[in-house]
This record gives sequence, structure tokens and C-alpha cells, in this order.
Amino acid sequence: MSSAQIEIQLIASLVAIACAIPGTFLVLRKMALITDAISHSILPGIVIGFFITHDLSSPLLIIMAAASGVLTVVLVEFIQKTGLVKEDTAIGLVFPALFSIGIILIAQNANDIHLDIDAVLLGELAFAPFDRLILGRTDVGPKSLWIIGTILLITLGLLFTFFKELKVSTFDAGLASALGLSPVVMHYGLMTVSSITTVGAFDAVGAILVIALMIAPAATAYLLTNDLKKMLVLAVLFGVGSAISGYWFAHALDTSISGSMTTVLGLVFLLVYLFAPNKGLFSVLYRQKQQRIEVSLLTFLLHLGNHQEEKERHVKHLNEHINWQKVRSKSVLDLALKNNMITIDHNIVSLTKKGKNFTTEAIDYIVTNKNSEIEHMKDRFFLFRG
Amino acid sequence: MNLQEYIELVFTDYTLRTITLGTAVLGAICGMLGSFAVLRKQSLLGDAISHAALPGIAIAFLIIGTKNSAAFLLGALISGLIGTFWIRGIIKKTHLKSDTALGLILSLFFGFGMLLLTYIQKMPNANQAGLESYLFGQAATLLESDVWLMVLVTGISLVILLLFWKELKLLLFDADYTKTLGFNIKFLDILITTFIVIAIVLGLQTVGVVLMSAMLLAPAAAARQWTNSLGIMVILAAIFGALSGVVGTAISASHNNLSTGPVIVLVAGVFVLFSFIFSPGRGLLFREIRFRKNRSDLQLHKTLSFMYNIAKTHEDTAHPHAIKILNNFQGFTRKSLQKLEDKDYIKIRGTMWSMTDSGYHTAANLYDQLIKEEDE
Repeated sequence: MSSAQIEIQLIASLVAIACAIPGTFLVLRKMALITDAISHSILPGIVIGFFITHDLSSPLLIIMAAASGVLTVVLVEFIQKTGLVKEDTAIGLVFPALFSIGIILIAQNANDIHLDIDAVLLGELAFAPFDRLILGRTDVGPKSLWIIGTILLITLGLLFTFFKELKVSTFDAGLASALGLSPVVMHYGLMTVSSITTVGAFDAVGAILVIALMIAPAATAYLLTNDLKKMLVLAVLFGVGSAISGYWFAHALDTSISGSMTTVLGLVFLLVYLFAPNKGLFSVLYRQKQQRIEVSLLTFLLHLGNHQEEKERHVKHLNEHINWQKVRSKSVLDLALKNNMITIDHNIVSLTKKGKNFTTEAIDYIVTNKNSEIEHMKDRFFLFRG
Repeated sequence: MNLQEYIELVFTDYTLRTITLGTAVLGAICGMLGSFAVLRKQSLLGDAISHAALPGIAIAFLIIGTKNSAAFLLGALISGLIGTFWIRGIIKKTHLKSDTALGLILSLFFGFGMLLLTYIQKMPNANQAGLESYLFGQAATLLESDVWLMVLVTGISLVILLLFWKELKLLLFDADYTKTLGFNIKFLDILITTFIVIAIVLGLQTVGVVLMSAMLLAPAAAARQWTNSLGIMVILAAIFGALSGVVGTAISASHNNLSTGPVIVLVAGVFVLFSFIFSPGRGLLFREIRFRKNRSDLQLHKTLSFMYNIAKTHEDTAHPHAIKILNNFQGFTRKSLQKLEDKDYIKIRGTMWSMTDSGYHTAANLYDQLIKEEDE
């Protein structure tokens, strides 16, 4: 590994961490799309900043860009408050307009500006190590490393200082304001941090990867845990992991680094989306199937409990009376038998004592509208699940 | 080139005519279908889909190896639809919310698309140039066949809209009721979503991935301000869309260095801004005027009821009182007294005022909701 390669991976990892932290809160606050808006609408800020300084790496650019990011948020909220359109429409109206202004500004001055729209949208991580920061005479490392490092330090400082406040205002804005923490300050604080992070990361990885790095790790982590601290740690790990493996992937294929980092993020998300325990697609589908059979079982037991006469309790009767398919009635019968809730004698089904207890308790819960309790009850009664 | 030359050129110049027609048709279909997107609160779906279409275009190029807008459209359509249904899957099956799902699909698909595009650029194939025009759109690349395709799709979607008008309208405003009536809401939902995806994919070549969502939203958001009827809204949105297309093309053609996509979006933005401010029913301007009027009415009522309380202690309600005794009361100004006199509620003689019969009657029934006021 050459030193440039190490530096690129270092920058990518720092960007991933700096994005994952505000991203987690944005996902939890259902404001993920505001990053999309910010990442696009900082373009006019950057262009205007460039007109003033004629230097792409001047700090004024970052300030202007962050300001136009915050302006986006303010505009979106203003439009939303008028009640003329919904929030998502407001976002969808504001950022394309600002982005268009940015593009037109660039196009109008195409001759004396070295600002490539592709680079703005996609970034070029591969060139990041060549833009060095030189203090006095010594070369202290790539500029973007310092920029994103500073932003990350600030973000981390704010996170540790205001963790409790952020947590409360994220999950219960009402409680937060009752406790005297202003949700508005938290909101705009988070928005400012997100804007600045977007701008800082933007230079290195481009507008689209910023969105991916903010949302994808947090969303992936959210599928695996409900604990805020664990979610933050997981999001950071996913971000850094995808950044580094994305780099090597791009290295092997000789393609854009930011594109391949996003692709790795997408693959990781896809895997977690499909296979996450409890919240993944397969486990949700499996649980739904299980519950369907268990509800059928309950219906069946209730039916048995209500009927003493043998005709109603005949195995064949199930198909016609409760109107179940053959396979389904068989699986329900099997489940009931396995759990010792029924006995079958000459094709006549009868409830065991355990089956009766289960049915009465279940009815109690249903009558008193405590359906959720049934899940706990199942744990006590069932030897095998559906 | 100034505007007048431009108008002459539209009728004589082939390229300009094609572009103008193309953007007009595109604006119309986007406005039409965008109305549904906005009302279904799927505004940002357009943004996500347009980004999600990028890998489809790249894969289509990788498979056929040449530029072919029909194949690109198909690829974009397929990958847009995959994106859309994945978004729905995420929202339905996990606890991630719609904003996260949209942002995820948008960025992940786009990133993958960029990966493919950079991969294509490094291939020894001279045909790849110009694929980037899908990022920001290039109206100049529109051909007559593209315009015909747009017209065809617009026609089909118009027919479908008219065929399923009643059902779609019902689905928009009360999905549960639609279901209980026995309509297949899944089918309707997929139908309208598919057409929204088609409209987006059609526009990619002209306005580009990034700005396509505004093309879908802006005309609909502007039209929404002028009416509460779905039919009128769809028609208005189509007109706004077509107008922004035509005007945007005109402006960008008559200046140097102005790309068409951003200009169209900004023109549509101006329509939205205008509608937000000046629409009579919902606009900010008229709302402010109504607000002020209500406030001054309230002040008048306050003064009137204060006078009523004084007058009712006298046997003769028309007994004159000095204006001075109103002084400790904030609602009273010379202007508001004048207004009350204009409405014939009071009479002013010098420094004295007296209540008229109609004023007394109105004041007595001021808070009686059953009696409709006619003094608007």
C-alpha cells in the first residue's frame, strides 16, 4: 500500500464516521431526505463562494455552502408552515430550484471557472491526496483530511456534550421541551452540523455519496438494534467497513471510488434487509406465517371448546365447516397434537386439559382486549411454534 | 438571438421546433401524472426513481453496446420500477420510514449507476460519449422520434387516466373506502405508480436525473393552489408544465450557455412562487388580506359590544354619549368609529355618539351564531 492509498482510505473512513453520526439522528427523526436536499442545494453556495475568492479550497466556500444548506432547511420549513403543500413537496421544490441556480451560475461563467459539475456531484477521492496542506515548509497531509478531521472532532465533541439532550429531543420532543431543552435549538443544531458535514465530505466524495453515507449505515444499523448507542456504533462500523472495502473494490475494477463505496453500502444494506434477525424481510415473512397458523390454531381450539357433539368434532368436518384448505387444516391439527392440546380418537378430535386452559386464557385476553398478551402466553404453552 | 427571432425560428428551424414540442409534451405529461404524485404524498418518489433509473441506462448500454434511446428507456424503466417496489417493500416490511427508504434507494442506486458509468468510460468503446447527458439532461439531443414517443406515452396515459378516473380519484382520497367497495387497490396503485415512473423516465434525457423531480412536482404544486377539484388540477398542472417547457426552452435558446433543464425548472419554480402568493383561495397575499380584515372586523365588534353595554343601561338606546368615555378602551379609533357610522350602527354628532336601532340589534346578536351576518 502506498501512502496515497492509506491517505485515501483514511479520508474515506473519517468521512464515513462524520456522516454516520448525524445520519443516525436524521434517520431516527424521519428527516433523512433533508440530507438529499442539502447536498444538492449547497451548489450555489459553493459557486458564489468561488466567485468571491477564486479559490476552490478557501474556507469561505465551506461557510457559504453551509449557509446555503441551512437556508434550504429554513426555506423548506417556511413553505411547509404556510400549509400550502406537504413537507416532502416543499423539499422537492426547494432543492432543484437552488441546484438549477447553481448550474446556471456555473454555465454562465464557464470560461473563467474551473468547477466541474461532475466533480461536484461525484467528488474525486482519488485526487484528494494530491491537494496538500503546507504549513510553513512542512507538508502536514492532504487538505481534505484536515477539513474532515476538524469537522469530525467538532461533531464528536457536540455528540458527547449533548448526547442526553439529543436523545430526549429525538424520541420525545414534547418531553424535551417540558424539561427545558429547546427542540428548536437541537433541530437547527443538528441541521447545521449536517450541512457542515455534507459540505466537508462533499469535496472528497461528492453529493450523492454523502447522502448514501449518511442514510445507509444508519438505516442498516436500525434494522439490527433498537438501542441508540449500539446503533451509532454499528452505523460507524458499517460506514468505515464499506468505505475501505469500497476503495479496494474500486481499485480492482478501476472505477469511481465513490460509486463503489455506495455499491458496497447497498450490498450490505440488502443483506441486512433480507437476513436481519427479527426485522429482516425473511424473518418478518416467517413470523407472519407462524402467526397465521397460530391464529388458525386458536380459532380451531375455540371451535372445539364450543362443541360437545361428535359430528362437529370430526376431522373431516374441519374442511367444510371452518372452510380451510386441506394442507392448512393438516398443519393446524399437527401443531395442536404436537403441543398436546388435542387428542384424536377414531377421527374425533377432543381438547385435552392443557388445550382447555389455553383456550380459556386466550378468550380472557381477547375479551379484555389485551391481544398482545397472547404472545407471552404462547411462550408458556407452546412446545413447538407454528 | 432575441425572443422575436426565436419565435420565428420555432416555426422554421427543425431542431428548435423538436425541442420546443418535446419539452412542452414532457411538461404536460409530468404535470398530469405529477398531480397524483403530489396528492398521494409521494412527491419525493420522483426524485428517488429518477436517480434509481441510472443503473438501468448503464446496464442497457453494457448489454447492447451502442446508444439507443429506446433501449435506455426500457432499462431506466425496469430499474426505476425495481427501485420503486423495493422502496415499498422497505416501508411495508420493516420499521424504516418512507424518507429513509427513499433516500436509501436514491443514493444506493445512483452510486451503483455511477460505478457502472465510470466503468463504461474506461472501456475501449467510442460510443460511450454522451451517456453523462442523462445526469443533467440535454434537450438538444431530442430527436423527432423521441417526441413522437412522448406523444404516444402521453396519449396512452391520458386514456388510462380517463378509463380509471373514478377509481383513481377514490384511491387518492380514501383508499380504505375504495377497498371496501371491492376495487383492487393493489392494481390501481401499481398502475398509477408505473405511469409516474414512465413519465420520469421519459424526462431523463431532457432535464436529467437530478432535476426531474422538480419537473414532476412543480406544476402540480402550482396547480394545487388554484383549485380543489382533481380534474381541474390535472388540466392546470398539464398547462403549467407545458408552459414551463416552452418558456424555459425559449429562454435558454435565446441566451448563450444556458442549459435547458435548469431553466425549465426555474420557470416552473416561478409558476409555483406566483401561485403561492397570488392564488385567490389559498395564496399568501389573499390570506394576509383576509387575516387583516378579520382582525379589523374583530376590533369593530369589540368597540360595538362595548357601546352596546353602555347603551343597554339606558331606557332610550339611542341616547347620545360622549366619545370621551370610549377613551379607556383600546379597540376604538377615529377610523373605526367612522366605519361603524358608515355601516349605520351609530350616529356621530360632534363629540357625541348614539346607537341606532340596527346597531343595537347587531350588537345584541353579535355572538349568536345562528343569525347569519349580512354586513360583509
